[in-house]
Amino acid sequence: MLLRYLLFPLFMCPFINGAELEIPKETQKLLGKFCYDCHDSEMQKGKFNIEDLLSKPLKEHLEKWEDVLGHIDARKMPPKEKKRPSEEQYESLTQSLIETLDKLAYENDNPGRTSSIRRLTRTEYQNAIRDLLDLDVDATTLLPTDPSSHGFDNITVEGLSPSLLERYISASQKISRLAIGRSYNKPEGRTVRVRPDVTQEDHVPGLPHGTRGGVIIKHSFPQDGEYEVRVHLARDRNEHVEGLFAKHTMEFLLNNKSKASFEIKWMKHAHKIDQHLHKKLHVKAGSHDLGITFIKQSRVIEPYYRQPYESKINYHRSPRQSPAVYQVSIIGPLSKENKGESPSRKKVFIVYPKNKSEELSCAKEIIKNLARKAYRRPATENDVKRLLPFFQEGKELGASFDAGIESILSAILVSREFLFRVEKQPEGILPGKAYKVNDLNLAERLSFFLWSSIPDESLLAAAENKTLGNAKALESQALRMLDDPKSKSLVTNFANQWLYLRNLKTIYPDGRLYPDFDDNLRQAFQRETELHFEEMIRENKSVLSLFKSNHTYVNERLAKHYGISGVYGTRLRKVELPEGVKRGGLLRHGSILTITSYATRTSPVIRGHWILENLISAEPPPAPPNVPTLEESNIPEDLPFKDRLKIHRENAACASCHDAMDPVGFALENFDAIGQWRDRDGDDPIDNTGGYVDGSKFNGVEGLEKAILSRPELFVKTFVKKLLTYGLGRGIESTDEFAIREILRNAKKDNYAFNTIVTEIVKSPLFTKRLSSKEMH
Amino acid sequence: MNFITKKSLDRRKVLRGLSSVVALPLLDAMIPAATALEKTSAKPIKRLCYVYVAMGSNIKKWTPTSKTNLDVLSPILTPLEPIKNKLNVFTNMELRPAYPGTHATSNSTFLSGVRAKITESSDYRLGTTVDQMAAKVIGQETALPSLELSMDMMDTVGQCDNGYACVYQNNLSWSGPTTPLPSEAHPRLVFEKLFGEGGTKQERQLALRKRASLLDFIKDDMNKLKKEISKSDRAKVDHYLDSIREVERRIQIAEKNINTKNLKNLESPLGAPEVYGDHARLMFDLQVLALQGDVTRIITFQMVRETSNRTYPEIGVPEAHHPLTHNRRSFNKVAKINTHHVSLLSEYLQKLDKVVEGDMSLLDQSIVMYGSGMGDPSVHDHKKLPILQAGGAAFGIKGNRHFVYKKPEPLANLHQAILNKAGVDVKYSDSTTPVSL
Repeated sequence: MLLRYLLFPLFMCPFINGAELEIPKETQKLLGKFCYDCHDSEMQKGKFNIEDLLSKPLKEHLEKWEDVLGHIDARKMPPKEKKRPSEEQYESLTQSLIETLDKLAYENDNPGRTSSIRRLTRTEYQNAIRDLLDLDVDATTLLPTDPSSHGFDNITVEGLSPSLLERYISASQKISRLAIGRSYNKPEGRTVRVRPDVTQEDHVPGLPHGTRGGVIIKHSFPQDGEYEVRVHLARDRNEHVEGLFAKHTMEFLLNNKSKASFEIKWMKHAHKIDQHLHKKLHVKAGSHDLGITFIKQSRVIEPYYRQPYESKINYHRSPRQSPAVYQVSIIGPLSKENKGESPSRKKVFIVYPKNKSEELSCAKEIIKNLARKAYRRPATENDVKRLLPFFQEGKELGASFDAGIESILSAILVSREFLFRVEKQPEGILPGKAYKVNDLNLAERLSFFLWSSIPDESLLAAAENKTLGNAKALESQALRMLDDPKSKSLVTNFANQWLYLRNLKTIYPDGRLYPDFDDNLRQAFQRETELHFEEMIRENKSVLSLFKSNHTYVNERLAKHYGISGVYGTRLRKVELPEGVKRGGLLRHGSILTITSYATRTSPVIRGHWILENLISAEPPPAPPNVPTLEESNIPEDLPFKDRLKIHRENAACASCHDAMDPVGFALENFDAIGQWRDRDGDDPIDNTGGYVDGSKFNGVEGLEKAILSRPELFVKTFVKKLLTYGLGRGIESTDEFAIREILRNAKKDNYAFNTIVTEIVKSPLFTKRLSSKEMH
Repeated sequence: MNFITKKSLDRRKVLRGLSSVVALPLLDAMIPAATALEKTSAKPIKRLCYVYVAMGSNIKKWTPTSKTNLDVLSPILTPLEPIKNKLNVFTNMELRPAYPGTHATSNSTFLSGVRAKITESSDYRLGTTVDQMAAKVIGQETALPSLELSMDMMDTVGQCDNGYACVYQNNLSWSGPTTPLPSEAHPRLVFEKLFGEGGTKQERQLALRKRASLLDFIKDDMNKLKKEISKSDRAKVDHYLDSIREVERRIQIAEKNINTKNLKNLESPLGAPEVYGDHARLMFDLQVLALQGDVTRIITFQMVRETSNRTYPEIGVPEAHHPLTHNRRSFNKVAKINTHHVSLLSEYLQKLDKVVEGDMSLLDQSIVMYGSGMGDPSVHDHKKLPILQAGGAAFGIKGNRHFVYKKPEPLANLHQAILNKAGVDVKYSDSTTPVSL
């Protein structure tokens, strides 16, 4: 080894080309000193040979070098038990590698290439409908789920299967009919179920105070008219209405105004108890809140059972104390009345013909307005030409001007230009060259990134006037857009996917072990994390604020779960954390802790993996083939879980990954599978000894947070990469690292404030430029 | 129930009906229509159904004791008693290409017989699945060449098998190596796919005409786009155009069917039932209806999704399915879940057997395969798979047999045998000798 090290400079010489960039000599020496023990041509541990890498042209091995830098930067290499560089040597190594790689990347000028053709995701489709037509639709009932890759559902969006195409056609027809509100020749029905694991003993946010339980439904009524609302009560498995121990009063509310009132009382024939819970309501066209709820009663007998968490399981142990809403059906319109003036009609009918002779010119004007917004570009005469036949056909079949417009709208909603984002490269550009994305595409990039929707008037106008393509304009548009309520999609779409919050609704902790878990708690979990993230956006805080916080958001239910006293009501509000309450910060949120657990127990492996993957980009590679599972191995089953995992790690094949994952997860062992604090697990005291990728050891969540914050760059870089993946709609490549480092350098000056990260991203070449196709046009 | 086929559309009746029939199975509605179909069937129509259940089974309680017949059924298979004369069970089948053992490969290899490419990105690659091979041959005469169904209306992210894109776990059916077919779990949407918005013949005809003109519009769009983009992207647009042509074809067939088939006035179910069993029954009923109306002849149904954490409190299993399968001590509960699934299958088979066309039942003219791509879920292996097959009497398949293989028999050989029986002359994956059926 020593000999090899001494020979090193000589050995390298013949391969160095004067014009080519290379790793500086000093750095090469350091790499040799600390890496050759395992990664020279002889050892090649982990099939990695840095000696060989050094002998090859840097330019062709950018990816491997970025990987080397990543390992050194995270202090993952050399491993703790080997000889490691001093902190200064680490610094000089990373700095020198960064300088070299940045120079190389600068010369390469490769802003990456997002797919040229991308379909709107289901979420984007729903938001686009909202912004185009002022219409709330539930796209989950219209379109299939988008597949997810790289952690987000807007990456793999190139496909258009026959069934998806059929769904788009059906959706366009449904939506245009709803938006225009033309006479329906038959009523339509919608049924809303309340999840069975919702506790309905308390006030529901959004309903008036003094009410209890029930549900609030946002519904788009297509036209003025009568709609029948019918309610069924929750029943147990013997078909008895649950919780019916006294008389109750149910109210139907429209926009929080009482429209009907019913008495509910016990009857011998259980099916008769809710038979009368229906009423025809007269409703104006448009989106309204339909509330179904009960008048709150003071309880005569305090319930001595625990709160129910799911009706069917709790039948024996924690039954409902009062009746609950099971489902609400809305059927209509039942009467033929005029169309009314719904918000979506106002959006569509910017002009309306006074007589037959004006119909054609009005149709043309409506087409131009809708096509421009839907296609995100100036409307043309050709658009009018192509869409007018639909007007004629619709008018003929439906015998009205409105029917013609409805038909136009359905065509716009299936058009390629609405459903797909296409980025065309400039004419005559050479293959594999960077070019500036045009203003209209840039406006789309911005709006789909920050709003998950189409551009608004201001953004579209800026793009049409070609005033978007400079850093200043981009920055001010981005800041304006972040201020707009629509940027909430960064919480509901980005953060929910990044942190796996979307999975929360499919997680069912074991009912026997965690009888306190119900959907109310699940919703509070979700809201806490969302509000924490939203606070960072609204108050332009540092992304590091996601970890450390002396306050959090709770309602009564969540406060009880966390052991915080003095919080009442169902609305989540900001609460300063009292001494000794170990909350605040993502890693202490019930949401994250539950998502990363099994139904019956915590999983340090899942938690560790979640942190490595989502917070510090250090996820282990996929499990190699032929690795025995915990169950397959010969480890005695009666040992404590931690000991079994330890033995598992003694197998070298398992250790390669679990050594990194498990210690990180063990730091969170004080939180049980639904995020509640515990000092013991059964009879065993909790061992919360944890470790970090850099080899450090610590105890508990504080230690883990401290370890993460001791090198905040790792987290911020991961955050930026996640945001970029989502914002660009593609996976991050090693060629992007240069631009990412630039974003980080600039954001650091502002202590990684969220807005700064976003504006740096949208100004970065990754966002404003694109690589042309590798083959000739 | 009156929401699927009705003679008259009395509005008061519909309204009264709507709120109560939301989620009930369709069977009652189907029976009268069945008699109408009686005369139409001269020679048997070939139909194939594949039902997938995830995470293997408690194989001890699955395997019947006799090595030749099903005179005594095992605990899990007991619900199939009424139909066992049209049932065969296969013991010791394996799915070699699914190794190294994962959930993603259990699901994706089950019908493809191909090793999934390890990737979490969009460069996933598998192979054409057996149902799609059949669809290309016997699916062409119906409005839908095939129907893909599932039970999960969820959109999980990030929690798929390490190293594998979620498509491997979500999609059972693939029409090509890079084309997973998304499945539908919402009964109303399945109904609309099969029968549009329903309604009278005239209404349905008009609706088809409108769809056709919208399709023309997007076709023009795509043709225009094709001229404006680079070469590699043109291939993508060609795919879109293929999809468009496919939908065009479906519309044409649907137009023809409106006049020739006997499904009169159709009303759609409104929601999805909350309880698993009710939801599954509804999905099975829609399949009966789809086969009966000859809307499709090939169906895949992912009845359970791999790594599903569904709980079954209604049968006394409040714990999540997946973790249960990882602990041998909870295998009694796994057996309970397995039995529940088998009993739902049995109801479906019995319904198919009650619908008679000519002198044969729908079940006689269908080959139904049911099983999992995983054997013992606690170790993620792909041997000793729980596999059964039902129906197919019209193609010479007998029942009440238990095939026990001494050496592990590739599942591919059963797929091949079924294709042969259905007259699909295609070589399936790496099948060697088809099993004798």
